[in-house]
Amino acid sequence: MFDLDEMKEVWAAHDEKLEQCIGLNRELLNSATLSKAHSATQRLTWTLGLEAAVWFVIIVCLGSFITHHAGTLRLSLSAAALDVYAIAMLAATIRQVVALGKIDYSRPVTAIQKQLEMLRVLRIRITQRALLGGTVVWAPFLIVTARAFLGLDIVNGPWLWANVAFGLCLIPLAVWISKAFGERMGRFPFMQRVMNDLAGRNLNAASEFIAKLSGFEAEVHS
Amino acid sequence: MITLQQQQEFQSLVGGHKKILYKICNSYCRNRDDREDLAQEIVVQLWRSFGTFDERVRFSTWMYRIGLNVAISFYRKETARTRYILSDDGQLLNAVDETAYQSSEIQALHQFIATLDPLDKALVLLYLDGNSYLEMADVLGVSETNVATKISRMKQRMRQELSGSTRG
Repeated sequence: MFDLDEMKEVWAAHDEKLEQCIGLNRELLNSATLSKAHSATQRLTWTLGLEAAVWFVIIVCLGSFITHHAGTLRLSLSAAALDVYAIAMLAATIRQVVALGKIDYSRPVTAIQKQLEMLRVLRIRITQRALLGGTVVWAPFLIVTARAFLGLDIVNGPWLWANVAFGLCLIPLAVWISKAFGERMGRFPFMQRVMNDLAGRNLNAASEFIAKLSGFEAEVHS
Repeated sequence: MITLQQQQEFQSLVGGHKKILYKICNSYCRNRDDREDLAQEIVVQLWRSFGTFDERVRFSTWMYRIGLNVAISFYRKETARTRYILSDDGQLLNAVDETAYQSSEIQALHQFIATLDPLDKALVLLYLDGNSYLEMADVLGVSETNVATKISRMKQRMRQELSGSTRG
């Protein structure tokens, strides 16, 4: 019997047995337990909220640094470069929080899955830009932190250019390492996710799923 | 703010539709621990959305939408999941000796469902549960004719794959 309609009858008979076989722990369905529990979406919203708060504090500190070193162009310009990076990261984080807040799981499957996948694409692009941009702002970061925490002024021409060049060389290297070793990082899920983001694997998977969703939604004729 | 009456209503509605919860979890996760995690994740999402539940919509339709949306996201997660939701000790969903009450046909059907992509899984699950094409279209967000065409193709595919697997 391999007909879906006939299987439907077998499934219905099985369904009746299920009623007796499944037990639902109703004690866990009370308001106190459920209110304490956090869904994956909520956890992600909180993580992003915390991230946004950290970026905000960094922006404020950098603003203060720029004001204090307005007379020293090399220091204020380095801090301004970092500030631009931090503002872009804050804006991207807020964009994700807003997009997450708009997700209503009780809407039809294709609509919500598309929304979730677009959010994943956004998250992957942000990770890519953050990592690649991070290699560029590496030099200003050292300059600002050395001054702010150690009181040192480490800026000089060759040093700065060497670090900028180092940061730029790091980009293809990081992409190559991610492509070569990302798949083997199963024991470190977070690391693996970041490497797959950087290598473009997760973006490809997300794009494929979006295409699949569109295909599923599209009218088909046999 | 959810009142005590709403809480009781929630418990009774979810309890009355526990089979939907079980079948979604069973179709999207093969591993028992993952099934329990998914069941808890769905219940938490149902609870969070319950305040906005529109009673003009059938509870089963609403539960299918949330359950399938959570299950597909769960299935597609790239990273390992954090294991904590409702409770460390008590299990939300218990099924006594699952394979003992499954006929060979049901087991074959489960194996077939396991080969499907997450969207087709949802389609077959809704069909087997006796939903009309209109209800399926409503849950999935596609047209009724689209559902009919997909089901017809699925029937063909199932015939080919299951008869092929028994011959092989």
